[in-house]
Formats: sequence, C-alpha cells, structure tokens
Amino acid sequence: MALFKKFTNRIPYESDESVSSDAESLDSDEELQNAFAAGKLKSGFVIESAPKKQLIKNTTGLRQKLDEMKQDLAWIERLDMTNDSTQLPKSMVDEDIGSGDADVHNDFKREMKFYRQAQAAVLEALPKLQKLGLKTKRPEDYFAEMAKSDDHMKRVREKLLEKTLGMERSEKAKKLRDLRKYGKQVQKEVLQKRQKEKRDMLEAVKKYRKGQKDKLDFLNNDDFEENDKKNKKVQKGGKGGKPGVNRKRVYKNAKFGFGGQKKRSKMNTKDSVNNVSQYGKNFSKIRSSKKGMKNKRPGKTRRQNTKSRK
Amino acid sequence: MAKRKHENKDQDESAKKPKEDIVLPPVINSNEPVQRQKKWINKQRVLVLSSRGIGYRSRHLMLDLRSLLPHSKPESKMDNKDKLFVINEMCEMKNCNKCIYFEGKKKMDLYMWLSNVPRGPSAKFLVENVHTMSELKMTGNCLKASRPLLSFSKEFEQEEHWQLLKELFTQIFSVPNHHPKSQPFFDHVFNFSIVDNRIWFRNYQILEEDASLAEIGPRFVLNPIRIFEGSFGGPTLYINPSYTSPNEHRRMLRRSVAAKYLMKVESKKGHESRKPTNSSYDLDPTDDFFTVTPEDVG
Repeated sequence: MALFKKFTNRIPYESDESVSSDAESLDSDEELQNAFAAGKLKSGFVIESAPKKQLIKNTTGLRQKLDEMKQDLAWIERLDMTNDSTQLPKSMVDEDIGSGDADVHNDFKREMKFYRQAQAAVLEALPKLQKLGLKTKRPEDYFAEMAKSDDHMKRVREKLLEKTLGMERSEKAKKLRDLRKYGKQVQKEVLQKRQKEKRDMLEAVKKYRKGQKDKLDFLNNDDFEENDKKNKKVQKGGKGGKPGVNRKRVYKNAKFGFGGQKKRSKMNTKDSVNNVSQYGKNFSKIRSSKKGMKNKRPGKTRRQNTKSRK
Repeated sequence: MAKRKHENKDQDESAKKPKEDIVLPPVINSNEPVQRQKKWINKQRVLVLSSRGIGYRSRHLMLDLRSLLPHSKPESKMDNKDKLFVINEMCEMKNCNKCIYFEGKKKMDLYMWLSNVPRGPSAKFLVENVHTMSELKMTGNCLKASRPLLSFSKEFEQEEHWQLLKELFTQIFSVPNHHPKSQPFFDHVFNFSIVDNRIWFRNYQILEEDASLAEIGPRFVLNPIRIFEGSFGGPTLYINPSYTSPNEHRRMLRRSVAAKYLMKVESKKGHESRKPTNSSYDLDPTDDFFTVTPEDVG
C-alpha cells in the first residue's frame, strides 16, 4: 500500500482516513496492518500527516505589542469601523446571503458580502461626520486631482457603452431572426389558404356544372377577399418592417447556386492570385451598378447648360 | 493626466469655518515664516518600496497604493542581497514610522511586509489575486488624497492576532487628519474582510449618500504568514497554521497529478496479485472421465 503526504484542503479530493493522534510514527506496513486489525484505521488509502509545523501563538506578546502600538486618538483621526454585512436595514437587502462564512469560491456572494459591509460602514460613518460638522459630499464643481485620470475614465465609459450597445445589437438581431421565422410561417399559411380557396372554388364550379348546386352564391364572397390578399404583399426593406433583399445571399446564390458558375471557374492569372480585394468584402453594402450609373450622368438641361457655358 | 486646480476650496473653507485647515493666501511674502500645521497631530509617514524582480502587476499595485496614500514616501528598488533590517535604516533616514515592503520571489510570488518601524510589530503576508486600479472593470474614481473610511469585518475583534493586524492596518492605511496633502471630502472606503483565513481588501467609491458604491480598486488578498515582534525581525509572535508556501502548494499540485498514475499502477499490481490462478469453482476430477477425445477413438 502506498503512502502519500497529507494534502491540505486546497486539493479537491481527499481520501478518507482517520489517523489517530498517536499514529504519527506509523510508517511501516506491518504497523498499519496491526492498527487496521485493531480497528483504528478505516479502509482506503492511509495518509501520513505532514510533519507537525511549529505553531506559535503568543497571545500575551500580541496583546502587549498591541498596547504598545495603540494611539489614544479620537475617532476622527482614524476613521475606522467594525461592521457586519448584516447590519444593513432590510430595505437595502434584496436577497439573503446568509450569515456565516459564505463559500469562498462563490464569487458573487462573496463580493456582495464585502459590498454590504462597506455599505454598512458608510451608513454608520456619514452621519457621525456630519454631526462633527465636516462636509462629506463632494460638490459637482469641485475640481481636484483624482486617483484615476480623466483619460482613463473616458476609456472606462467607452467600454461600458460598448457593452450595452453590443447587448442591444444582439437583442435586435435575435428579434429580427424571430420575425423572419414568423414571417415565413405566415407566408406558408397564406399560400396554403390561397390554394385551398382555389380548390374549393373549382369544386364548387364543378358541382354547379354537374347540377348539384343551383345558386351561384360562391362567386360573390370571393371579391372581398381578393383585395385583402393584394394588401398583404411583403414590403421590401424599409424601417421596422421585414428586412428586404439580403444582398450577401443574392451574391452567394449567383456565385454558388445551382452548382455554381462553370464559365469562369478556372481563371487564375498572375494578378488574380495575389488579389485579395474580394476577401472580407461586405456584400450587404454592394448596390447594383445600374442605379449608380443612372445618377452619375446629369440630365439633359444640365448638360445643355454646361455645354453652352463652355 | 490633467491636473486641475483647487478652485473653490479656499473660498468655501475660509468663509464658513475658521477652525478648519490653515488656508494659505494666494500671495505669500517669502520673508514670512510658513505657518505650521498645528492640527496635524497624527504624524504617520509610510515608506512604500519593493524589491527587484517584482513583475508589472505587482509594481502597478505598489504605485496604486502610493497614489492612494498621500502620507507615503516612495523609495527605489531594494537589492535582495541586503538583509531586511536595512529597511529600518532607510525608514529612519526618510523619517518614516511605517513601512510597506513588496518582495517578489521567482517572478511569481508576491510577499508584502507591513511594519511599524522603530520597534513595533511587523507582519509578512502572501499577496494573491491582485487587480490594479487601471483595470477597466473598476469603474469608480475618487479624490487622490481624500481620507478613506476604514471598514473591518467583525472577525477582526475576535482574536488577538487579528486585533493587532487591525491596528496596524488602521495606522498605515488611514490618512492622518489635517495632513497637508489631504483633501477635504470623504468619498471612498477601504474594506477589510476575513474570509477563509485570509484578508480581502477592496476599495469602493461612495457614489451617493444612501451608500451606493462603485469599486475603484486595487483589490488584493493577504494570506498572513507570520507576525514578528520587532520590525522586520525579532521573535515570532504568531504563525498562521493554515498557510502553505506557494512552493509547497505547487509541489502538492504536481504530486497529485503524479499520484493518479501511481495509483493506477498500484491498483493494477494489486489486481494481478489477488487474481486467482486456478479457476474459481471447484473441479471434480471424475467429471471428465467420460469425455472422449479424438485420439482415444480408433
């Protein structure tokens, strides 16, 4: 059986053992077996405890030094307080952390504990200071050297802004995605409905022709519904509505759709090999060239005017 | 860094409260003697220095502490060759009665000494979890030299060594009243708590009078190692039983990884030794009396 040095509680795993107080000298297998037979040891790995460290706690010395060091000063000179995080009034405490040593590794709880302790300190100290006639709140127009420079605070603010913007953007994207999904569903339903109506219409006509129905009522109802369908057309682009054409998708469809282009697939020239202008291109910003072409040339009157001026 | 003038301070203070700090007039005749600060009675001066091989994070921590404590005096790096009691002489030369000394070992571990210099107690800590003031997640800001409120958790009252440390912290970290460099308002609070036998330090800005706070930083964790009776030496008053040196800690981590392999090897060996060589059920020799092998036939 192997023996290992004792691990302190920083290591996550600990094998179970019970080493009695006089078992410091157990370092041979036979002695261990004897102890086990005698019922002193449980099964599992036996861990030899580390050699006992020299522990000193000189309480009288500590007290003496404390008395030597202490200064008899009024509270205002020192501004120290002993607080407990549980001293806060109930109104400030949203959740209950629980008294006692909160788990060290639960970061949020630990930091909340510290925060509450500081809050309790502030609530205790500020009234005391105000009673002594000292001003505690820094006025807005008081300019003095701060611990962090203005430049640094600007960067902090920018980072916070970036974070909030990022969250907003992701929210927006999520909403758009959901909207698109919903729109797709609606479109499907509308198409199905139309097809169903067409089918019903044809059947009704068939029935009439075959003499099962004598009235032509079914024709009247359709007129009203035709107008509704026209109004339900999808809006292209625009603010707040469904998104319009996805130009990136259009480009990719043209390039790779239906097996991709065959005509110009192998055209590596000396220049095109090193040409990386297409990499990372933002296709959503590309506008079809026809629109631009139209706008670039001035109109007839303008051309005539400039011509005449020349 | 933009440095702004103390514009409104003079007018407010001198108009309302004559018993506040002595306010210097805008034009001074150099023949007149400078008025002494009679109200500044708590004369604490802290020498803040470090050894070589300390690393950028620890250096920034030291600089943050220097900027937050206006009663501190800087000092150049100390050689590791010199013994620690040389620091006492350095403090005497600079007329300091407290000292914060950062010691870096192996470019990985940071130790901090706090000491009351002429004769008083000193304490050595292992510093962990250092976050400096310049991290962008610390959003608060405070006046550079305003007096901090100090808040200690209730464990500091329970044991003698904690009480002694509390006194040491108070005298080092609190800015003396009417210190010439100190600024008037109270806008930040130092928080010392004891969790898991370590001292956690936080620095918060007081945003509103209703105690809403923002963290300014720096933040660090002190693991007490020893408390000595003298300054940087002397008999030991207290040893922390739950302290393991970082070297030991790393060694144990490495051994636990090795232990996994060793345990596997051991268990395999044990399995081999305990495995029964013959079959686990009883064999009766008359069982195969009637079996016929091809050799027997014919």
